[in-house]
Amino acid sequence: MLSYIVHRILIMVPTLIAISIVIFTIINLPPGNYFTTYIAELQGSGETADLAKIQFLEKEYGFDRPLWQQYLYWAGGLLHGDLGYSFAYDLPVDKVVGDRMLLTAVVSITTIIFTYLVAFPIGIYSATHQYSISDHLLTLLGFLGLATPSFLLALVLLYLANVYFGISIGGLMDPKYLDQPWSWPKVVSLMEHIWIPVIVIGSAGTAAMIRRLRANLLDELQKQYVVTARAKGLHPLKALFKYPLRMALNPFISDIGSLLPQVISGAAIVSVVMSLPTTGPMLLSALRSQDMYLAGSFLMFMASLTVIGVFVSDLALALLDPRIRLQAGRRQ
Amino acid sequence: MSDLTFVPGPPRDRAEDAAAPLPHFVSTAPYDPYAVERMTPAQERFYVASQWRMVWWKLRRHRVAVVAGAILLAMYVGITICEFLAPYGVDSRSTDFIYAPPQPVHIFYRGRLVAPYVLGFDYRLDMKRLERIYTPNPKKRQTIRFFCHGDRYEFWNLFPGNLHLACPAHGGQLFLLGTDRLGRDLMSRMIYGARVSLTVGLIGVAVSLTLGIAIGGIAGYYGGWTDILIQRAMEVIQSFPHLPLWMALSAILPVSWSPLLVYFGITLILGMIDWTHLARAVRSKLLALREEDFCTAAVLMGARPVRVIGRHLLPSFTSHLIASATLMIPGMILGETALSFLGLGVRPPMTSWGVLLSDAQNINVVALYPWLLAPVGTVILAVLAFNFFGDGLRDAADPYH
Amino acid sequence: MSSNRLDPPGPPITRRAFVGHSLLLSTVLSAVPGAAWAALRETPFFADAVAGDKLPRVADRIPAEPAIVDTTGKAGGELRMLMATPKDVRMMVVYGYARLVGLTPSLKLAPDILKAVDVEAGSVFTLHLRKGMRWSDGQPFTAEDFRYWFEDVASNRHLSQSGLPVDLLPNGEKPRFEVLDETTVRYSWSRPNPLFLPDIAGPDPLFIYCPSHYLKQFHQKYADKDQLAALVKKARVRNWAALHNKLDAMYKNDNPELPSLQPWILKTKPPAERFIFERNPYYYRVDKEGTQLPYIDRVILSLADSRIIPAKTAAGETDLQARYLSFDDYTFLRQSEDRNHFDVRLWRTGPGSQFALYPNLNTGDAVWRGLLRDLRFRRALSLAVNRHEINQVIYFGLAIEGQNTILPQSPLYRPAYRNAWARYDLGEANRLLDLVGLTQRGSDNVRLLPDGRPMELIVEYSGEEPEEPDVLELIRDSWLHIGIRLFSKPAQLTLFRRRVFSGEALMALDKGVENGLANAASSPWEFAPTSQQELEWPKWGQYYETKGRAGEAPDLPSAVQLRDLFNQWLGTASPDDQAAAWHQILQIWADEVFSIGTVGGVLQPVVVSDKLRNIPEKGIYNWDPGAFFGIYKPDQFWLEPEAGAKSAAAGTGPAAATP
Repeated sequence: MLSYIVHRILIMVPTLIAISIVIFTIINLPPGNYFTTYIAELQGSGETADLAKIQFLEKEYGFDRPLWQQYLYWAGGLLHGDLGYSFAYDLPVDKVVGDRMLLTAVVSITTIIFTYLVAFPIGIYSATHQYSISDHLLTLLGFLGLATPSFLLALVLLYLANVYFGISIGGLMDPKYLDQPWSWPKVVSLMEHIWIPVIVIGSAGTAAMIRRLRANLLDELQKQYVVTARAKGLHPLKALFKYPLRMALNPFISDIGSLLPQVISGAAIVSVVMSLPTTGPMLLSALRSQDMYLAGSFLMFMASLTVIGVFVSDLALALLDPRIRLQAGRRQ
Repeated sequence: MSDLTFVPGPPRDRAEDAAAPLPHFVSTAPYDPYAVERMTPAQERFYVASQWRMVWWKLRRHRVAVVAGAILLAMYVGITICEFLAPYGVDSRSTDFIYAPPQPVHIFYRGRLVAPYVLGFDYRLDMKRLERIYTPNPKKRQTIRFFCHGDRYEFWNLFPGNLHLACPAHGGQLFLLGTDRLGRDLMSRMIYGARVSLTVGLIGVAVSLTLGIAIGGIAGYYGGWTDILIQRAMEVIQSFPHLPLWMALSAILPVSWSPLLVYFGITLILGMIDWTHLARAVRSKLLALREEDFCTAAVLMGARPVRVIGRHLLPSFTSHLIASATLMIPGMILGETALSFLGLGVRPPMTSWGVLLSDAQNINVVALYPWLLAPVGTVILAVLAFNFFGDGLRDAADPYH
Repeated sequence: MSSNRLDPPGPPITRRAFVGHSLLLSTVLSAVPGAAWAALRETPFFADAVAGDKLPRVADRIPAEPAIVDTTGKAGGELRMLMATPKDVRMMVVYGYARLVGLTPSLKLAPDILKAVDVEAGSVFTLHLRKGMRWSDGQPFTAEDFRYWFEDVASNRHLSQSGLPVDLLPNGEKPRFEVLDETTVRYSWSRPNPLFLPDIAGPDPLFIYCPSHYLKQFHQKYADKDQLAALVKKARVRNWAALHNKLDAMYKNDNPELPSLQPWILKTKPPAERFIFERNPYYYRVDKEGTQLPYIDRVILSLADSRIIPAKTAAGETDLQARYLSFDDYTFLRQSEDRNHFDVRLWRTGPGSQFALYPNLNTGDAVWRGLLRDLRFRRALSLAVNRHEINQVIYFGLAIEGQNTILPQSPLYRPAYRNAWARYDLGEANRLLDLVGLTQRGSDNVRLLPDGRPMELIVEYSGEEPEEPDVLELIRDSWLHIGIRLFSKPAQLTLFRRRVFSGEALMALDKGVENGLANAASSPWEFAPTSQQELEWPKWGQYYETKGRAGEAPDLPSAVQLRDLFNQWLGTASPDDQAAAWHQILQIWADEVFSIGTVGGVLQPVVVSDKLRNIPEKGIYNWDPGAFFGIYKPDQFWLEPEAGAKSAAAGTGPAAATP
């Protein structure tokens, strides 16, 4: 067991290095850098006031140096815990990200809970009543969210919510509560606004979960011990919940590690449409404007989250499932 | 069965007759050693059926999958003749009918059944609100012509022609789904857009399949260090959020490429993102299967690894692979719409559903011209159809289940 | 040498009659008759602070010689606006429009912060500050702030690595800067500098002053070494110069601690989703009834994604909005007017053409270059653009068709300039192309180039505006009638400009001339090869910018002529000479068709809440000149306390009538 843990931790290091190189390459692939793009924009709109200051910044941060030097500078900073400086916001990166992480976490966790709440009943019903009409209808419902392009659904829901319920458009709460301390009306406003992104983002994830749960459950229900239990007179529901469902849940626990980053990034497009103050829009605009440190450090952060998350869930699985533990980690 | 005769037993009064046989039936037919194994014609068909045939039978039982498959077939056949199906050309526009609402088709006129017709518009420009107001005029009945000569087109960009399934009446309009901001018919553009959207998925999946099988196969077959390296590389790629990858890759597609090349570039990009799932599945299957006897036999007979993988190992789970591939196509269709939303998709004059939807992505359309949201319906239909069909395929893929 | 004084719109101050040259600028507004105003009224917003001795009384806060404005209104209220990026806080400097010298709604220069400006022969500028004027933190605003900027910021090689701003260097000559007394400074050159005052009055102005008392603590020369090092470390920047540059955010406006002269001061420290600006207690403008401006107490900028701002505006979440709204949104906004208590007005924009085609005269392709340089070819292309159709399809016929040149609202306008080669005449276009020698046609009637290639013209654009592909689609259809096939290619902004600058692009589509409302005093730089940013001759422009170090010298006689006329304009201080130079430039520009315009004067929706007063019904919405709302002086806008009926009185401010 210990050797497995050490082995995995050692492997993580070159993985993270490889990821950082990929991230850096990707951000610098489009031509130019943040400064050239920004200067081009300013010249296009006729705002030439601060041009000199921007060129000064470009030289200060070494953006006229060769790429590999810039990479080492950034990677070195990361190792020290210095995420760098965001030129778009004119602030250190951790200040820009820090504010948004809390709301991102709130939205993501609510979405995951919603997904589980919707997917479970449908998946279980679907597995136990395979090929019936209600199975098809419920599956259709579950898949509808996946099939609709999320950006359009978000816009339409925004408009309808405003016309029929008077909810202010976009954002996570009514603008007047934005800097106020937490109070009951603020929470109510938050709940009024949060159901749209949760539904739009969550409904895309329900389909995959329904499908997986159904497949796993079907596999389990065919097994000998279930048949035996039913034959011996165990109540059908008990026969369903006590044993097969637990086994079918196995992949969900193992997936939680990689689920969170997926939800965070999958929500990016919807967050842009709805103008949520989460990390999605921040990442998109950082990528568009090639704000090197903000985009790069945040992506590194997300990738590390995933890698660590996968490791943790593998560990959890190893602890839970004796078969894996005894085989010393040969993953299938 | 008709050659059974009844043999009554002897009377059983006396004790010494107790061991005599009881009344029974005797068959007078000649003895046939293979009687047990003979099958009815139905059973025989089942027994000698190939795996594919069994998959097909199982699939047929899944009614929803069959319906979905039929819809998909219709769609794909349709896109081969989209120039014929669309009432207008892809770029035809009319300045007089900008943002015109859809014209529903009527088949009754004063209670009688007549040839299908649409109502022409009365057009008024409201200069106070800057609105174009179209009122259907019951007096202007425009009968739809079928199999008629309409806008010129180039069939598959090769053969000029102008035969259409349906065209507007002479001097009339046929905007079944309304028009957009340049006065272009939405229905025609959706039909042409289907060509791009539906094939993007196919080509993208082909790319994914190739990558997945090749890389997963190598990892699974060789095991050891190759396996570990490839697994780590896959982990790197998988832990990467898609958005930045898309943006960067689309940004480097050169400006000078024609729209067709850009289209292929985009299918490549989409295909390169999602192959890791396939590779994983292939790898795990191969790891299990390569210990099997038939594989060892092939290796002992001198088969090279490529042949072993391709000829012996893969076919045993091809059906599973195809099912997985079918389930990846909707992801590609949706990925294409997302790319168009970000402005990174196919370039004009090519149209796709994604381009149509991103054009519709503003509040004016949702509030004032909602018919422009119609491509959502076709996207949903295609994605659902693929999902159900793929599910049915996957359920059927293991016919011995 | 005649000199003239610029007077502010206030009580008349003695003027010497001038002989000979008439000055560009003169007193604009009618002065308020007689002596000043009624008794000063304390601003209600500060009543508590004054009572608690935290703030001096209003009489001590305004300068001894304040600017008196001929307007009335009620103080109080909050104005909400929507913006898309945190950088948009700089818009409050644009809208606030507190300038040393500003533009009036009729686009004439008039002193604003300054009490008066003496201009001698257009080359010596004496600026008179107001006595007793203070920064927003109460410290005096004096000549020291000008001296600090000139000697310790602009001339400091750490802070300004490229030296003084180019507009202070006519022909490379540095100004002689003198401090005459505490409220008077003087800048002198040996030759006229007609760009000096317009630049100070611009939307993103040339700031020749800064709060020295605040910034000195971040300057190497004045601050304690260790204290400065500690500050640098705390801010996590590289060195003191980076810190000074970051905090000296006169235009960027993201430093709440920087003292300012604008009507509203930033109170929220970034990052934030909502930026709050509160009124400047020491603001220098007072209305004629004794109320200190601005009327509005607070301005709130909320951030939202630019694509949902039209939706939010229609839902009533803003009180004054034009930014991020486009003409397409008008119908939807009109529909929501009554329900959400606002009014949508349509103001004209200023660019000479919303979209214009720029044939790249410096392109690398020799055959195309030869053609593009041929006058007849450009004229033919221009004749084949159906501007009426573009106007109808995209702008409901409400835009002004014509060439890429000044608009009818400009005092220099002559119909001939705009209509030259702007009619839709396919016959003449075809005839001109045949004259050029392009008589050979290939398959499907497309003409052939002299070397046999089909005439496929690739027009590149940056895709920033959604109408660009539509306009190109319309032009493509009409150019097919003269045998030219157009292909449009969008490219990312940096790439697009790079391709044009290097000559790889044949033709570009971009915005037309920015200043379609020019008068004789405006710079005609856009009409002559003076900058690389001009897409029709990037290399010639670069040659001028870099003084011959890079780029190519112009070799078309007409372009050389334009450049000489521009230099002529630069070298004169007389308005008549300036106007003469302008007319010659405009005439050459009209004849040569160096860029092909489509439609200009496009209308911009401006959403105004029913409660907001003193904002004109019809105005100009333009960047330079105009500063969007700046020239209408938002510090004079006021809010009616009761939300209610729409305002019948459109504008009682200085700009009821607009060009």
